[in-house]
Amino acid sequence: MAATSEQIRRVKVRPNYDHVAWKWMRYSALLLIPLVWIHVILQDVIVGVHAMDLDYVAQRWANIGWRIYDALLLGFAMAHGMNGVRQVANDFIKGDRARSIMSWALFVFWLAITVIGAAALIGGVRQDIPLN
Amino acid sequence: MSTLKTTLTGYVGYRGREGHYAFLLHRITGLGTVLFLVIHIVDIALVYLAPKGFLDVIALYQTTLFGIGEIGLVFCVFFHGINGLRIAYFDMFKPANWSIETGRNSTRVTLIATLILWLPATFFMVRNILIHNFGLFGG
Ligand code: HEM
Ligand code: HEM
Ligand code: HEM
Repeated sequence: MAATSEQIRRVKVRPNYDHVAWKWMRYSALLLIPLVWIHVILQDVIVGVHAMDLDYVAQRWANIGWRIYDALLLGFAMAHGMNGVRQVANDFIKGDRARSIMSWALFVFWLAITVIGAAALIGGVRQDIPLN
Repeated sequence: MSTLKTTLTGYVGYRGREGHYAFLLHRITGLGTVLFLVIHIVDIALVYLAPKGFLDVIALYQTTLFGIGEIGLVFCVFFHGINGLRIAYFDMFKPANWSIETGRNSTRVTLIATLILWLPATFFMVRNILIHNFGLFGG
């Protein structure tokens, strides 16, 4: 009767990268709701793009709190979004080698964009270059 | 190539109704938002890298065409966020809710909640465009 035993077999599986990424998508999502929604409602709906110029950004970044806010947004939204692109690409690309190349390409792309965003956040608005 | 074809015909031909539409919309809104985000990070970085270029880009954002695009972006951000919360909640706390019936109902609730947030936002954004680009309401 052992063959029909109802004992549940528990197996411990070491979490691999995709498992961690799957959890990451869900935890980062919770943080992204306030971060992205407040940013979009403030910038796009309340302030509006018609009120924006260099002074506007300079004034906002004069406040270190908003710089930290933007840094969090940069880090979490880009990481969540690029990992999402990786998930979608996994549905189109089969084979370990092709997937590994795709993952690395996305990683390099993510790094490049993040460095550009971070440079602006640290450097701030450049006032010393003449505008015309 | 065969994987490309299988995936794409699955997207179009599969008839999962609400569940399938929620899946497709989640993909499209997520991809749309990253595309915007990448461009956005570069255009904001222009304040440091090339301030003159930043002014040109902002002028582009102020056009009516981009204004309509932004209204779409706000829909993406609201829908993707609410549907994402639904996915995360079901996956982590209520896996039993991944049934066809509950999936259908909760998809409808997600869409209604999105509209409740999106319609007022759209009102203000359309008003902004009418004021600044068409000189209405004393603009
Ligand atoms: C059309 C709607 C949007 C407008 C008008 C807008 C406007 C701005 C402005 C003016 C800044 C400069 C810094 C500041 O004022 O805090 C900024 C920075 C930023 N925004 Fe947005 N934003 C929009 C949508 C979004 C969305 C949907 C996301 C995320 C998915 C996002 C992510 C960011 C990030 C990461 C930064 C920091 C960029 C950097 O590090 O250089 N924004 N945004
Ligand atoms: C507003 C808060 C957000 C929440 C609650 C959220 C939630 C989620 C969740 C739970 C997933 C995983 C779906 C799955 O594995 O089936 C996901 C996927 C994804 N997210 Fe988000 N997300 C948010 C914001 C964003 C932003 C700002 C971007 C873009 C920068 C983005 C881009 C993506 C992409 C491209 C995917 C992959 C879509 C797919 O696999 O079909 N998300 N999101
Ligand atoms: C590769 C992944 C998937 C496979 C192989 C698959 C397979 C199937 C099959 C065979 C059925 C018919 C079941 C029946 O009626 O007895 C079905 C129904 C359904 N699936 Fe999927 N499915 C997949 C992904 C999804 C996704 C991502 C969603 C949405 C989140 C979804 C939502 C639904 C819904 C709502 C139905 C009911 C359709 C109806 O009764 O008309 N499915 N699926």
